[in-house]
Amino acid sequence: MDPPVRRAAPPPGPRPPHRVVLDAVAMAWRTLTRMRTALWLLFGLALQSAVATVVPQAPNVPGTVRAWLAGEEGPGAGVSGVLDALGAFDVYGSTIFLAFLLLLFLSLTACLVPRIRGWWRLVRRSQPPLLRAAAPDDVRAGVLVGGDRDAALAAAREVLSDRILGVARWRVRTAPDQVAAETGLWSREGGSLAFHLSFYALLAAIVLGQLTSFEGQRGVVEGEPGFVDAAVSYWTYDPGRWFPEDAHAGWRLDLASFEVDWIRDPLAPGAGQPTVFRSEVDVTRPDGTVERAVVEGNRPLVVDGRKIHQLDWGYAPRVVVRQGGEVVHDGWVPTLAGTGVFSGAVKAPAAEPDVGLELYLYPYAPDGPDGPRLTGAPWAEAPVLLAWQWRGDLQLGATQQTITELDVSRLDLEGAAWLRPGDVTAFGDVEVEFVELRRWVGFQVSRRPQVPGLLAASALLTLGLVTALYAYRRRIWVLAEPAPGGPDGTPRTLLTVVGRAFQRPDAAAEEHARLVDELARRTGGTRT
Amino acid sequence: MTDAQLADLSRVLYSPVTLALYTAAAIALLAALSRTVGGEVARGGALRRLGRVLAAAGIAAHVAHEVVRGLAQDRLPLGNMFEVTSLMALVGVAGGLWYLRTRRRPELEGFVLLGGTLLLGLALLMYAEPGPLMPILTTWWRTFHVSLLVGGMGVFAAGFLFTALYLLRVRIDGLDADAGEHRGTSPADATVPEGGPVDGGGAAVAVRSAPDVAALRRRIPAGRLAAGVFLGASTVSWVWAVALEPLSTGLARMLTVNVALVAAALLARWFAPHLPDAEVLDGIAHRTVAFGFVLWTVGTIAGAMWAEQSWGRFWGWDPKETGAFLTWVAYAGYLHGRATRGFRGERAAWIGVGAFVTLMATYLVANYVIVGLHSYAGL
Repeated sequence: MDPPVRRAAPPPGPRPPHRVVLDAVAMAWRTLTRMRTALWLLFGLALQSAVATVVPQAPNVPGTVRAWLAGEEGPGAGVSGVLDALGAFDVYGSTIFLAFLLLLFLSLTACLVPRIRGWWRLVRRSQPPLLRAAAPDDVRAGVLVGGDRDAALAAAREVLSDRILGVARWRVRTAPDQVAAETGLWSREGGSLAFHLSFYALLAAIVLGQLTSFEGQRGVVEGEPGFVDAAVSYWTYDPGRWFPEDAHAGWRLDLASFEVDWIRDPLAPGAGQPTVFRSEVDVTRPDGTVERAVVEGNRPLVVDGRKIHQLDWGYAPRVVVRQGGEVVHDGWVPTLAGTGVFSGAVKAPAAEPDVGLELYLYPYAPDGPDGPRLTGAPWAEAPVLLAWQWRGDLQLGATQQTITELDVSRLDLEGAAWLRPGDVTAFGDVEVEFVELRRWVGFQVSRRPQVPGLLAASALLTLGLVTALYAYRRRIWVLAEPAPGGPDGTPRTLLTVVGRAFQRPDAAAEEHARLVDELARRTGGTRT
Repeated sequence: MTDAQLADLSRVLYSPVTLALYTAAAIALLAALSRTVGGEVARGGALRRLGRVLAAAGIAAHVAHEVVRGLAQDRLPLGNMFEVTSLMALVGVAGGLWYLRTRRRPELEGFVLLGGTLLLGLALLMYAEPGPLMPILTTWWRTFHVSLLVGGMGVFAAGFLFTALYLLRVRIDGLDADAGEHRGTSPADATVPEGGPVDGGGAAVAVRSAPDVAALRRRIPAGRLAAGVFLGASTVSWVWAVALEPLSTGLARMLTVNVALVAAALLARWFAPHLPDAEVLDGIAHRTVAFGFVLWTVGTIAGAMWAEQSWGRFWGWDPKETGAFLTWVAYAGYLHGRATRGFRGERAAWIGVGAFVTLMATYLVANYVIVGLHSYAGL
């Protein structure tokens, strides 16, 4: 007899176009939902991550990426151009990566829907099968007990009836000649499902977080007025799409003092390592209350649900620029740490023509026989400022330049000078004064409402994973057959305990042995 | 004792003491194998007992080294590549031996010690004097995060060892299947020990006579194994050639590592006929990797929690974060592969090998080549 046909054979002749499309979609869906496809997708994801480990990523190290593209670093401008075209400098923002992620989630969904349905059915209805014939890998042990078959099987049921948190551990089924029990199937599969479902929770938390979070950065010079938590105060301002600008709390942050130090002894182990990085800040709330607080590494300050981190620090020389006696620039210039030097820039568009100063601050440069001796040490024991003066067009607003960078493409070099604090130097009609040296701290203010969600998803992921890997499915059958009566003629029963493990056979065998012992103890029987 | 004396003591405890003890234990335990009959282990052989004593002494010396080093620098020895690799070896050896005890597979102990010796030597190549840690790193967050990941690395190392041994064993079995006969059915194997197999875990293991062991060994072509291991090791050791200056130093380091691994592989081949059944090895490798995967997962999550606390962002695709993710994906691939038709068995095992290569390569690349937030400065 022919086996039952599930689908009708395709009609003869050319198929209508919509059938072709539907078949193609069904085919693609079937391919996508196969585990092998998921494995290849995972491999693709891994391959892209491998690229991101080796190729610098623009969101992390934009400077290095620029150097690669310019051919100053890396494999040369040609190769870098190809890498750029492939999106290798921003792997995690690239379309290919997002496409792989989407396909993986689609594949996961297609795989999970029937599994969840099956699992639910299993939890509600599954019954362990009765044993017909033991398999060669089954473990077995016999216990000879007094009493008839029913009493012996009742004892076996008793042994298998322990509960965890009110839930029976074994699912037990009784037949006249045996007790069948199964466990581990629901928890193992359930753990695996929880593990995989946690990825949706992770994804949801990440996406919602992107939309509702906010991150802003702002530098503050010690002892100088700080900033108010408002959209306009931040140097970089990165709100999520759903983060309203009026959601800022309006508190004010001032840097009261800042402490930084290093292991200064060049011969000590760990020489040059920083030892302290600590800001004391005053937070003024909108109602006028002031609170002194400390921001340290690993210990951000939390104000109204916003986390405040120290991100960066540098020296901030106060530089005054005068043209013909008139002040065209007077301010604290934040400098960024390089190797042994802190660099920054002064832009004075009020001068005519524009004045630009390229500043290099050497914190510890005591006087030597031919000018300042640059030690490279970062502590400001003998600071000296090297100022290069440029004149011309600063191109402010015309080209992209950060506050510490000068675009010199339309500037002419006028000269350079070494300045100690208090020194004044003149370049033509321009006078430059290095008034005083202080430090600035870069603070990051962030709001991340997704963090609790991420934690919950991570907990689900971990619990699911441990359950999926350590719960194991196994069955126990206790078979009862009448045995020759005891010496005084009372009835006896031979119980055979058969165990079958679907995973972790060693653990199952140990459990089987424990159950047999327990059965023998409770019934007062003897192991055979 | 002064810190300097403690530092000297910790160095001596590491090399030569621990290194010599591990090496001697590996030799004794492997030599004990060749004296056992067939795949079965005659329990309590004098050589095996000696090997176990040496291994226990080695672990004790290793633990003592970690403690003394910790005292010398007044911090947990989890701060640079030497310390991490050394702890990885300790976790691999102590954890591996403990696990083999629960699985009652003493015939694998010698291989675990062999792997431990290799890792110990690898750490020695990256030796750094004891020193303080940046204060930003002295937080329990770091202890939590790094110890989980280092534990994971040690467990993964043991998992890799078992996976590699499985692949060796499969070579021996595979030819059997081709020839259409099964182990234990050829005339040379005809005798089965009294009372059947000692262990319940595997199928019946037949006694093999000495010439048969040699014949089984020949089923793994030594030349191909050596070449394969050399090339395979190069997928990780190239990092030294790229990172170290001058090039000759880097190439010498690369060659040293490759040759050591080839020698270890040939040694493992010599004793491969004494390995347990492929299925047993596959099971042990899988359970080991599964445990490592749990550690790696929790350790990475802990890292993200610390990053949120310390840097104000929980994930930023920093090179080490990328490496951790990549390793996680690779091991997830292995675990899924074992459950996928067409990948089960050898192909899954090769994914497992690839995952360990990924782990080691990203470990080296992210520390030597790429400067990120995580990099150990100047190492």
